[in-house]
Amino acid sequence: MKFNLKQLFTQYKMLALLIAVALIWAFFSYHTDGGFVTPRNLSNLMRQMAITGIVACGMSLVIIAGEIDLSVGSLLGLLGGVAAVLDVTHHLPLPLTLIVVLVVGLVIGLFNGYLTAYLGIPSFIVGLGGMLAYRGIVLGVTGGTTIAPVSDDMVYIGQAYLSPTLGIALGFLLFVVAVYLIFAQRRSRAAHALEVAPVWRDAAKLAGLGVVLAAFVITFNSYEGIPLPVLLLLALLGIFSYVTTQTVFGRRVYSVGSNMEATRLSGINVKSIKLWIFGIMGLMCALAGLVNTARLAAGSPSAGTSGELDAIAACFIGGTSMRGGSGTVHGALIGALVMASLDNGMSMLDVDTYWQMIVKGAILTLAVWVDVSTRAGKR
Amino acid sequence: MAEYLLEMRNIVKEFGGVRALNGIDIKLKAGECAGLCGENGAGKSTLMKVLSAVYPHGTWDGEIIWDGKPLQAQSIRETEAAGIVIIHQELMLVPELSVAENIFLGNEITLPGGRMDYAAMNRRAEELLKELNINDVNVVLPVKQYGGGHQQLIEIAKALNKNARLLILDEPSSSLTAAEIKVLLNIIHSLKAKGVTCVYISHKLDEVAEICDTIVTIRDGQHIATTPMAEMNIDRIIAQMVGREMTQLYPQREHTPGEVIFEARNVTCYDADNPERKRVDNISFQLRKGEVLGIAGLVGAGRTELVSAIFGAYPGPSEAEVYLNGVKLDTSTPVKAIRNGLAMVPEDRKHHGIVPDLGVGHNMTLTVLQDFARASRIDQEAELSTIRQEIKSVKLKTSSPFLPITGLSGGNQQKAVLSKMLLTKPKILILDEPTRGVDVGAKFEIYQLIFNLAKEGMSIIMVSSELAEVLGISDRVLVIGEGKLRGDFVNDNLSQETVLAAALDQAH
Repeated sequence: MKFNLKQLFTQYKMLALLIAVALIWAFFSYHTDGGFVTPRNLSNLMRQMAITGIVACGMSLVIIAGEIDLSVGSLLGLLGGVAAVLDVTHHLPLPLTLIVVLVVGLVIGLFNGYLTAYLGIPSFIVGLGGMLAYRGIVLGVTGGTTIAPVSDDMVYIGQAYLSPTLGIALGFLLFVVAVYLIFAQRRSRAAHALEVAPVWRDAAKLAGLGVVLAAFVITFNSYEGIPLPVLLLLALLGIFSYVTTQTVFGRRVYSVGSNMEATRLSGINVKSIKLWIFGIMGLMCALAGLVNTARLAAGSPSAGTSGELDAIAACFIGGTSMRGGSGTVHGALIGALVMASLDNGMSMLDVDTYWQMIVKGAILTLAVWVDVSTRAGKR
Repeated sequence: MAEYLLEMRNIVKEFGGVRALNGIDIKLKAGECAGLCGENGAGKSTLMKVLSAVYPHGTWDGEIIWDGKPLQAQSIRETEAAGIVIIHQELMLVPELSVAENIFLGNEITLPGGRMDYAAMNRRAEELLKELNINDVNVVLPVKQYGGGHQQLIEIAKALNKNARLLILDEPSSSLTAAEIKVLLNIIHSLKAKGVTCVYISHKLDEVAEICDTIVTIRDGQHIATTPMAEMNIDRIIAQMVGREMTQLYPQREHTPGEVIFEARNVTCYDADNPERKRVDNISFQLRKGEVLGIAGLVGAGRTELVSAIFGAYPGPSEAEVYLNGVKLDTSTPVKAIRNGLAMVPEDRKHHGIVPDLGVGHNMTLTVLQDFARASRIDQEAELSTIRQEIKSVKLKTSSPFLPITGLSGGNQQKAVLSKMLLTKPKILILDEPTRGVDVGAKFEIYQLIFNLAKEGMSIIMVSSELAEVLGISDRVLVIGEGKLRGDFVNDNLSQETVLAAALDQAH
């Protein structure tokens, strides 16, 4: 695995992205006299990023499978609106609201998937139609007005923090899990008579992870603790990374995106794969919609507007291939971090909105240009 | 004028430390036709890319002398201006544009203001085609109206329009019918007479032997020999290519077919665009255990359609009743066909066989991935050890199972696709053109594999356009013509003439 050129290349690409994030942070820190890197602001930044990040998790699967979903912004708004209506108007208990919203999200996602995979409507068109229609439904459901105030229980989802003690415990737990996984892998490779990585390499990996985890927990703990939405995003990162790299479904997502005909002729039900990818996308929209409504403590008819663009941009900045077949979830999340950092930093510097848009557009184009040119050089 | 039109001297090309070309010398006289022979991966394509400046001057070592002067081209535009034109294996025509528009693509004749001068282009296109003795092409019709054979000829016309002095033809006949190949070879003869130099790259050595004056063989990036064809024969070309005498093209047969276990009844395929037209018309056949059944016929006869329909992969309306051991099977989709013990290696490896973004190993396990899963998690180590075993058993040459499959030669890609299907442990294996674009050495290994599988009791259906191959390895031969079953022969010293006559419906 270590000698795979392509994998090395993607690893370096991730490093380059992280360096880009570091540069962006350094720039904003310098210009805000360190205000940007205070624990309070970083905590805020990560919470802002959580919503785009949740959508980007689902979107990366969609794009790897060679499709696109433009309806996610409107769908996020719709599901956030539904959550607000259930909570504010119908006073449903929180667990019930969560279940209803998640189910509705899954069903709408599957519906999008059905239109694309089984009826053969290009996903671009399904997304475009959904973008208009779902936004229309939001306006109908909310009557065009902001629905507030949502219950305290709901607000908790978006604004609560994990207590510092629990944060430290979580950090330790993750570290222990990582140690276990690496040991399990070493044992399994040895059992199958495959070469085992040198001890120092795995030790260095673990040490690096330890430092990152410690920095992460300490930073959040010096403000209020790890925000719940960030915790959710971390959990999703874990689940999606697991699904894409370790499961049959994940392998098939890449395979479908890379060559759908060959995958079909290999005896794989490509339609059902695509159906479920869109189902998962719908589920992510539901989560993002819930977090958004909770964070704003209100259901807004314009919630999630152009959210699809942020999520798609995050995936492409993170190195997901436009034609499908390659990309990673952690890349997409780093992409989301880039976008959120730009938003946050420029707001702190009081940069005009129009400049913010221009800069974000330019960064997206630049990132994809770098990606494309390094790819071409490799062929 | 220089003695040689082209001299390539000591060409060396490296890719990241690996020498793809290691000192190649080639000299060509004007009007000469040279056959460039070598196994897949020997460096033929790389050499031609150096010559046509796909790899610009400076990215390789050595020198090219063109018409007495050093050529240091930086782009294909410059080599084309010098008169070196390459026709790729995959045709580079725009299907929606007219024949004339394609011929002039990039060289349009324009009126003042950039308007296309259609009258002049159509007239010139007609002249070009007439020079090539092609009289049944209407230059204003879109290219997609013409079949592969005509398209190949249109490519040649396009090359001549660029005043080609050296024409490189890369596997020009791989998708042509026998009749079309004849036309092509005649055209090359007349080009030679006009002083155009040709480099002919083909795995079909009988064509090479017929058309070429000189044979240049390369092996593993090394220049092996340049020999006048007069001193060569096909066996000697093969010996030079593989570096040993190939005493036999086909392995020893050690299997004997058993009882009938498989039957396909009333297979009918309708054209996807024109449901009135039957591509396959009510074909039925049987297959024995451990039998190799060859399916022969001309290109377009309906062979691929027939086997696709049996496997549930025909892209249009079709009917097929499939029985295994007397039990009717549902093979309406590839998923169900594979579950029921069928497997198919498709004809079009690039589009239907390989998944380019996955590594070699992951391509091989694509279908059986579920077998390595414990609660949906892939046991990657178990997967890897299966991949390693399989790589060994099909003699796939790759330095790592994680290499991108697109970096392998055609033969090795084919072995990977074949492994993918063998891992499903099928009872019936369908191979559609299993050796297309595969070099001689790998071909033999694939034949050997087919025989071993038959010996173990697998029944194999093999579609092939190469009659010699069909006769070399089949126990029985079905002949298909115009969608109908035209013959069912036991291969007991069956002659090519008998099969061809049946395919052309001349037997009755």
